[in-house]
Amino acid sequence: MFNQLRMDLYRMKKSKSVYVCFLCMLGVIFLSYVMAYLLATPNGQQTALKLGMLTLSELDMGKTYLEGIDLLGMFREANMDGGMYSLIFGIAVTLLVSGDYQGGFIKNILPLHRERWTYVGSKLIASGILNFLYLTAGFAFNALVNLLFHNLVPLSDWKGTLFYLGWVWVVTMGFAALIIMLCVLSRNVTIGVLGAVLGGSGIIVTLLSGITQQFHLSGWEEYTLYFNLTYGPSAYTSAGDLRGVAVGLVFLAVYTAAAMITVMKRDV
Amino acid sequence: MTKEQEKMAVETLSLTKTYKGKAAVSHLNMKVREGSIYGFIGRNGAGKSTTLKMLCGLAKPTEGEIRLFGKPADDPYVARRIGSLIETAGLYPGMTARENMVLKARCMGLPDEKDVDRILDTTGLGNAGRKKVRHFSMGMKQRLGIGLALLGNPDLLILDEPINGLDPEGTREVRQLLLTLFQEGKTLIISSHILGELSKIATHYGIIRAGNLVEQIDRERLENNCRDYFQIEVNDSKRALPLISEQMPSIQAEVMDNRLIRLYDLKDGAGLNQLLIVNGIQVHSSGFHHMDLEEYFLNRMDNLTSQESAASKGGEEHV
Repeated sequence: MFNQLRMDLYRMKKSKSVYVCFLCMLGVIFLSYVMAYLLATPNGQQTALKLGMLTLSELDMGKTYLEGIDLLGMFREANMDGGMYSLIFGIAVTLLVSGDYQGGFIKNILPLHRERWTYVGSKLIASGILNFLYLTAGFAFNALVNLLFHNLVPLSDWKGTLFYLGWVWVVTMGFAALIIMLCVLSRNVTIGVLGAVLGGSGIIVTLLSGITQQFHLSGWEEYTLYFNLTYGPSAYTSAGDLRGVAVGLVFLAVYTAAAMITVMKRDV
Repeated sequence: MTKEQEKMAVETLSLTKTYKGKAAVSHLNMKVREGSIYGFIGRNGAGKSTTLKMLCGLAKPTEGEIRLFGKPADDPYVARRIGSLIETAGLYPGMTARENMVLKARCMGLPDEKDVDRILDTTGLGNAGRKKVRHFSMGMKQRLGIGLALLGNPDLLILDEPINGLDPEGTREVRQLLLTLFQEGKTLIISSHILGELSKIATHYGIIRAGNLVEQIDRERLENNCRDYFQIEVNDSKRALPLISEQMPSIQAEVMDNRLIRLYDLKDGAGLNQLLIVNGIQVHSSGFHHMDLEEYFLNRMDNLTSQESAASKGGEEHV
């Protein structure tokens, strides 16, 4: 499995898509700061007025825009809570897995590794490393852009930030396992990307929630990856804050097992 | 035959693969000796690729057993001794030839990348090592596929249509490469539709038809079966045949249809022509022929088809 991991890491290093996805994430963060600057700072508002982005009556509303938002809050607003990160990370994972099937390189891998579950294990570890790098580098870029905008938002508590990045990593790994499962099942990039879009943006959860609420069935959303990623805590206050970790681990285990069974059962 | 020669690189026991109840490969008992080049022949859909995929571990047998170098196919050490190229070469088009090779080298856990450059040179891709694979011709991709199969210095090479898409020069280079590998003591299983090319290198053959291995034959026996013959085209074979049998009793004759007769072990073709003409039988054409692998294979297939149809007719009559 670790030889496969060496291969996956080499491929990630050489693959343009990994960098393109990362740049997209950075672009979203930067744009969010530009918007916040235009809406919530006096100098920015003057520019926004000239550009016609704001009217005089909206000026006061804009001043409250950044109230209660710190560095971590900005990172969440820009990247995480709307599902943008899941979407971008999901696409990167899709390309990592589906690439093996599309070009047929899988035919070079599986004859060497007859214990096929290791293929999924390697992809999962590679995704975990990518997830870690995206989250930490993304947050570091977030802090850098904040500095560039003369500390538009105050710094966040480092303990809370570490706690947040930790549980978000677990939840997004559950999401990565879902994407890996979809890719090994369909062997199709489109299906993987579609899974990343529909799952990451919360369209499926929102749609199902709308339907089940008609039948007075609610509360299940709290146990979905999307809900926990969007509404999870920014700091640890009680054991209940660990729900996201538990949900993430359960989904991680279920999707990983399904992906492993698929790879073991299906011929190439 | 010594014990050393008896060693089998591949042995399948009643190997079967079914898809949705239909057998793609049925009770296949294949034996490939170590240090041989095994030409695996069959029509499209005969089960060649499915068999080779099972040998490589890309497809799981429904029934039966595969033994590689005397060990079960799922033995992790045995897997290391196999290099394969199944159908098209599996490559990353956005990467260079060298990067594709390095990827596989890492996947195999090779400690260094020395072999990568050596194999790129061996396969004639030394100068194209930094060119993106998407810009490669079909032949270059195929050569890179063979290069990938050679990584790790495997003892058994399983190559499915390795000369597909190669130009004559490329075909010759690959043939030379395969012969060099054979001389190094490697075992090769090669499936190809280009039987003329296969006959230049193979030491053993396996013929598969509708999932069944109908024949395994070595080169000597094949050459014996493919002996020279004299073929004549006459206006009436019913008159010609008894005359030949009477005048030349030692000659073995085979009637192909109403007009074509094949004669084995005949040396005096002109004398036969004269004999027929003198006896009022018109000879439209005549000449010596050598049956090649392609002809042998097609004959074998035709014979099987006619045997099957005769058997089914017999069965119907019996019913």
